[in-house]
Amino acid sequence: MKPLNYAILKHFTNGKESCVEDVMAALKDQYSTFKAFNKADILNALMTAEANGLLEEARFDLDDAGEVRVYFRAHEEGMATINKYIKD
Amino acid sequence: MGSNNQAAMAAKKKLAADFLRKGVITAVLSGMFYGTYTAFMTYAMSMGIWSTWYGENSGLSAFAVMFLLSALGAAATDTCSAGWALGIATFKGKIGDFFRCIKTKPGMVMVGAAVIGGPIASTCYVVGLQQAGSLVVPISALCPAIGAILGRILFKQELNARMMLGIFICLVASFMIGLTGLGDDAPANLFLGLFFGLLAAFGWGLEGCVAGYGTSMIDPEIGITIRQVTSSLSNLIILVPLFSMISGVNPVSMIAATFTDATSLIWFVVAGFGSYFGFMLWYKGNAMCGAALGMSCNGMFSFWGPFFCWLILGIMFGRSGWTIPPIAWAAAVIMVIGIFTIAMNPLDLFKKQSEGA
Repeated sequence: MKPLNYAILKHFTNGKESCVEDVMAALKDQYSTFKAFNKADILNALMTAEANGLLEEARFDLDDAGEVRVYFRAHEEGMATINKYIKD
Repeated sequence: MGSNNQAAMAAKKKLAADFLRKGVITAVLSGMFYGTYTAFMTYAMSMGIWSTWYGENSGLSAFAVMFLLSALGAAATDTCSAGWALGIATFKGKIGDFFRCIKTKPGMVMVGAAVIGGPIASTCYVVGLQQAGSLVVPISALCPAIGAILGRILFKQELNARMMLGIFICLVASFMIGLTGLGDDAPANLFLGLFFGLLAAFGWGLEGCVAGYGTSMIDPEIGITIRQVTSSLSNLIILVPLFSMISGVNPVSMIAATFTDATSLIWFVVAGFGSYFGFMLWYKGNAMCGAALGMSCNGMFSFWGPFFCWLILGIMFGRSGWTIPPIAWAAAVIMVIGIFTIAMNPLDLFKKQSEGA
C-alpha cells in the first residue's frame, strides 16, 4: 500500500484528467478510512502538486451545488517525475 | 451558459487566490515560529544544568562548551520536536504513511535533507548563537540566497541578474550586522559565531533545495516528522557521542543529564513545539507557493528571530543583552528586501495589483 499522497499523484499517470471527486472514487476502496481522505485535503494536495509542476489544470466548471470543480492532469514531464520517484 | 462560465471563472480565481494567500500566510508563520523556537531554545540553554555547564567551574573544555553543548542543545530541541511531530502525525492518522514514506525514494531524499539541515546546520546555528548572540539569526537567514545559488549549480534552476542583485543586497546587510559587533560590548567570539551562522545558512539553503523534490510529493506533516526524527537520532547517535569523545566526557551521562533536568527540559519542549511548526510550515509554505516565494517569506525570520529573542528573553524574562542595535534592525529589513528581490520582481507586485483592479 502506498502513502495517500503517492496514490493521489500516481492516479494521474493514467494520462487522464480528474477532479477531486474522481480521485476519491478511484481510491476509496483502499483509503476511505484515512483522516486526510477528504475533499479539502485532497484538493490541497492537487493544488500543491500543480504549484510544483507535477500536475496542470485541464479545465474547470461548476458542480451541481454551484461549487467550482477543477480537473487536473499530469503533463509528460510531470508524469515522468512521478514515475521516477514513485514506483508501482 | 455565459453567466455560468463567468461564475465558474470567478470561483476558480477565488480558489487560486485563497490557496496562494494560505501559502504566503503559512510561509510567514513559519518564520515567526522559527523566531520563537530560537528564543525558547536559547532560554532553555541557560537554565538548570546548562547554567552549570556554561559556568566557570563546569570542568568542561572550551571545545566541549562550544561544540558539545551546542550539539546537545540542538539534539534536545530536535528530539522534543520529533516527539511533537510523531504525536501530531499519530493524532491526525498519518503515522502509517510516515513509515510507508520513509523507505521510498522521496523519503530518502527527505532523510538526506534532514541530515544536512538537522545535525550539521542546527549545531552550527547553535554554536553561532552561543558565540555571537542573536546577530547570527539574520546571517543564517541568508539561506534563501544560498539556496538560489545551490539550486543553480545542483538543479540548473534559474539565477538571473535580479536574483544576484538580491544576493548582493543580503551580503551588504550581513556586512552591516557584522559592523554592529565591533563596539565595546561585542561578544568575544563574534566573527567565529557569524562564521558558524553562515555555515548554518549553507546547510539550510542546501536542505531547502534538496527537500523541494521531496515535499512536492510527501505530505508536509509527514515530511517534517521524517526530518525531525532523522535529525534528533543523528544528533544523539553520531554528533553528541563524537563531540563527547573528543571532549573526553561520557555522552550517556551528558544526554541523561539533559533529559532529566526538568528546569530546562520544559523549555526545550516549548522550543521543540516552535521548531516543529517552524520547519513544518516552511516545507508546507515552500510546497504551496513555490520554493522561491516560500523561502523568501520564511526568510523574514531575520526579523522575527531577534524580535522574539528581545521579546521573550529581554522583556518577558528580563535578561539583559538582547536589545538589538538600530543598525542591525535596519540591516534585517534590508535583508528582507534582498530576499524578496531574489524571489520575485518587486514590479510584479504592482503589475498584479493593477491587473486585479
